[in-house]
Amino acid sequence: MKHSQDLNEDVAEILLSEDQIRLKVAEIGKRISADYAGRELTLVSVLKGSLPFMADLMRQIELPLRIDLMEVSSYGGTSTESSGLVRILKDLSAPIDGRDVLLVEDIIDTGLTLNYLLRYLRGKNPKSIRVCSLLDKPARRLVEIPIDYVGFEIPDAFVVGYGLDFGEVYRNLRFVGVLRPEAYES
Amino acid sequence: MSETGAPRDPQAGNAFAHASEAEFAHILDFYQVAWEYEPQVFPILWDLDGNVLESFAPDFFLPDLDLFVELTTLQQHLVRKKNRKVRRMRELYPNLRIKLFYARDFRALMLKYGRSALVSELSGALGQVGPHQNQDAGVEMAGSGGPAVGRPLDLSTPDSAALDTVGSHDRRSRGARRRAVRRAAAAYAPNSTAT
Repeated sequence: MKHSQDLNEDVAEILLSEDQIRLKVAEIGKRISADYAGRELTLVSVLKGSLPFMADLMRQIELPLRIDLMEVSSYGGTSTESSGLVRILKDLSAPIDGRDVLLVEDIIDTGLTLNYLLRYLRGKNPKSIRVCSLLDKPARRLVEIPIDYVGFEIPDAFVVGYGLDFGEVYRNLRFVGVLRPEAYES
Repeated sequence: MSETGAPRDPQAGNAFAHASEAEFAHILDFYQVAWEYEPQVFPILWDLDGNVLESFAPDFFLPDLDLFVELTTLQQHLVRKKNRKVRRMRELYPNLRIKLFYARDFRALMLKYGRSALVSELSGALGQVGPHQNQDAGVEMAGSGGPAVGRPLDLSTPDSAALDTVGSHDRRSRGARRRAVRRAAAAYAPNSTAT
């Protein structure tokens, strides 16, 4: 993969500006604050893509809350990995039994990772578990899972920025943009 | 005979019509989603005597999700034929959920998983498992540089030889396919009969 030194040059179009994201995150935070008022909430961020969203969202929720981080292996990489099974690379640091859990995702497309994570987390007996995703790409969906809080429904394009990467690059862009095909076509 | 998946190595059986199907099975296995490969054949066209003229066998059934998935990584003129069959299937079996995965969807999936280099070899005619395996009957094989290996529809034997599964050869015997058609017809009563 070849990326430009100025990452902005690899972006064909800004899909969601910094301001749009900021306003939406505030809106979701407000809804979550109202929905979980008086309850014990644990936000679980799925590394690495949801980190910026998690960091911004938690500061928009006006409730006492805990945060935790998880990471799961992704399909792909070496052929050895691709013949294996999804693995928890980083598990929760604290138990969630009896707690209200909100899983924070950057994007949901096929729903395969989310499906796996929900099954895994439900096995830890939380009081409730809901899903919050900044982006939803329904055109790619294989596993239909209700998403309780959605920031933006986006078209079927390869997007980067605000945590989303291609080859571990572009996560630090402040906006969500469509990657130029030249950036991923060899 | 259907194959039931997860957990298993889809390459071990070497039973897929197309390399993209094997890759898709790998992805489902990775995420521990149970799958069956071409478990059912659905009649979609009958003659006036009620004999099946045309049928459709979606590539995958995901039992836990109650979803059929059809992969189409072929060229556009073949995709149109698949689209027509999927439309027809949705009309006849409205309670079934089927997702059609186009070449662009598959390409995006590979891109997401960092396997974009595989796209060209998993798509179109290059992804075919072997030259003996035909595409839709009577249709030229995409990019093969030669005439189709497929056979024309034989209307004289509508319930067997003319069964035309979508986009792939069928590894089952005709008898097994007939039985699969009957099972599907019994299990999913269509809205309407022959047209």
